[in-house]
Amino acid sequence: MKSARIIAVADTSKKALNYAKELGIRRLFTDYHELLKQPNIDAVIISLPTHLHVNCAISAIEERKHILLEKPIAAKLEEGEKIVSVARKHDVKLMVGYPLRFSRKFIDIKRKIESGVLGDIQVAHAINIAAGPFTHQVESNVPSAVPEWWFNKDMTGGGALIDLGSHMINLTRWYFGEVRRVKAYFGYRFNFDFEDHAICIAQFESGTIAVINVGWFSQKTQVSIELYGTVDHTFGTHKSHSKVITAIQLILGKNHAFFIPYLNEVAYFVGCIRNDCQPSPSGEDALRDLKVIAEAYENPILF
Amino acid sequence: MSLVGLVECKTRNVDSIKRAIGEAFRLIDYPLPKAEKIVIKPNMCYYWDWSTGQTTDPVFVAALISLFREEISPNVKISIVESDASAMKCKYAFKYLGYEKLAKDCDVNLVNLSTVETEKATVKVMDEVFEFMVPKIIMDADLCVNVPKMKYMSFTKISAALKNIYGCNPYPKKFEYHSKLDDVIVALNKVMPFNLHVLDGLTVCGSKTLRLGLVMASQDPVALDAAAATVMSINPKSVAHLKLAEREGLGKIKFTAKGADFDYFRRRFPQKSLSEGAIAFGYRVACKLGLDKRLI
Repeated sequence: MKSARIIAVADTSKKALNYAKELGIRRLFTDYHELLKQPNIDAVIISLPTHLHVNCAISAIEERKHILLEKPIAAKLEEGEKIVSVARKHDVKLMVGYPLRFSRKFIDIKRKIESGVLGDIQVAHAINIAAGPFTHQVESNVPSAVPEWWFNKDMTGGGALIDLGSHMINLTRWYFGEVRRVKAYFGYRFNFDFEDHAICIAQFESGTIAVINVGWFSQKTQVSIELYGTVDHTFGTHKSHSKVITAIQLILGKNHAFFIPYLNEVAYFVGCIRNDCQPSPSGEDALRDLKVIAEAYENPILF
Repeated sequence: MSLVGLVECKTRNVDSIKRAIGEAFRLIDYPLPKAEKIVIKPNMCYYWDWSTGQTTDPVFVAALISLFREEISPNVKISIVESDASAMKCKYAFKYLGYEKLAKDCDVNLVNLSTVETEKATVKVMDEVFEFMVPKIIMDADLCVNVPKMKYMSFTKISAALKNIYGCNPYPKKFEYHSKLDDVIVALNKVMPFNLHVLDGLTVCGSKTLRLGLVMASQDPVALDAAAATVMSINPKSVAHLKLAEREGLGKIKFTAKGADFDYFRRRFPQKSLSEGAIAFGYRVACKLGLDKRLI
């Protein structure tokens, strides 16, 4: 990316800072407040555990830094509302990271819906099933420790629904508009006090019904959406190439296909700052996602 | 030569598994001894539940507990033990893998070996002296039962009975031992010799996960591992920690299999193909060369 430069990194982890150093970042901080005080920083990417979003985002806004914030916007509605209102008051651009919105496959589907070639979408089925925090291939196929905060519902705001469901709720809201009503079944295969899988049924103002199926229970990842319209059907998925193709891409110095939407997302955010336009998905957008999730938690389907 | 008992168990319920385990004990001529305190060490390597074939099925352990209560005494005190590891914490693994529920249902204790009283022990393997903290609960038990899985493992070729005892080391930063894993596995088995080894091969993880329906038992961990390696189509003599364990007197690689048809399980086990091995090797090399950092 030529239009922006990463000039500073803050993290409490020495390992993370060393990694940033290896990549040529010279200003490294263990306290993010010090980073935020740097005068020549226009924007920050906040990628912290969910419960830490509110304080960090507000500190950044008060230092007049534009923000690309990791999803979900916050663990609790009131924290999300606070972030959005403070950003609005200080006229700071706030974007929330939903990379699926920057995946070519999902953008194509949006165009198809808008063009009318699918007709009226009656039913959609969105899936985001993976290992969630219980993943093991972070570094060289060696099992990685799950950070403690993932096991604490107060810190995460919930389980698979808030973590993975926020992606799919945002995507379906982008496609079909606002949610009128939502209910959800919550599953607890792994015996924690947060759900490791959930099936949401959302009715949209447009009349579309979406089944949103999310889970942390599988070693295999699937992120996809199926749309059934009155004229035609369509399907989109976001996935990695095989290990062989990935290895060849890496050797050729290309980017890992799975991460291209993430790079597109950051490029778009930088473009919004340079061109002084409001980013989407915005903070308000992410807050609406969180409200849908909160409503789903309040309306469980019991068997 | 040591005896290894093989029994097929097609159904995943306590009664069927209990019958299969009892039959395996009969095949190896193992009468259950009198005991007041029993320690059971399942395999809980990470947050992968029984259905993946990576960790011991709590239903398998429930069957074992039921058998001990029937055959030894209804009042026998049973503890299920595991220790914290670099990437796994017992307090979450017990819950995630279904052991908290099992402990409640079967009235047994769950013990995190990283938090209990220990005693220092030294042990010599080849010319090197190792020092470990040994949990007192293992030293004080009348019967120690190892309930491993059978898996491929990049560092040690296979993981079965001997490797499972590695998890009895209370020290949580286990990755520090990876450079001399074979020696450490053997050393830990020398300081904590288990009486009985019962392998849960109901669901196994090879090149893919499969319901194999195998129960194996032996008093000799080396023989059991040699049998497991053979089922996985690995020459036991090519497994460094097995050769070392035999040299250190922990058991015999040569075994006598009794019971179900050994070749039947070997044919069904999902063996790693040459291409899968090559891909995994290439991927590891790419990561080692830092090519994964090109993601950024």
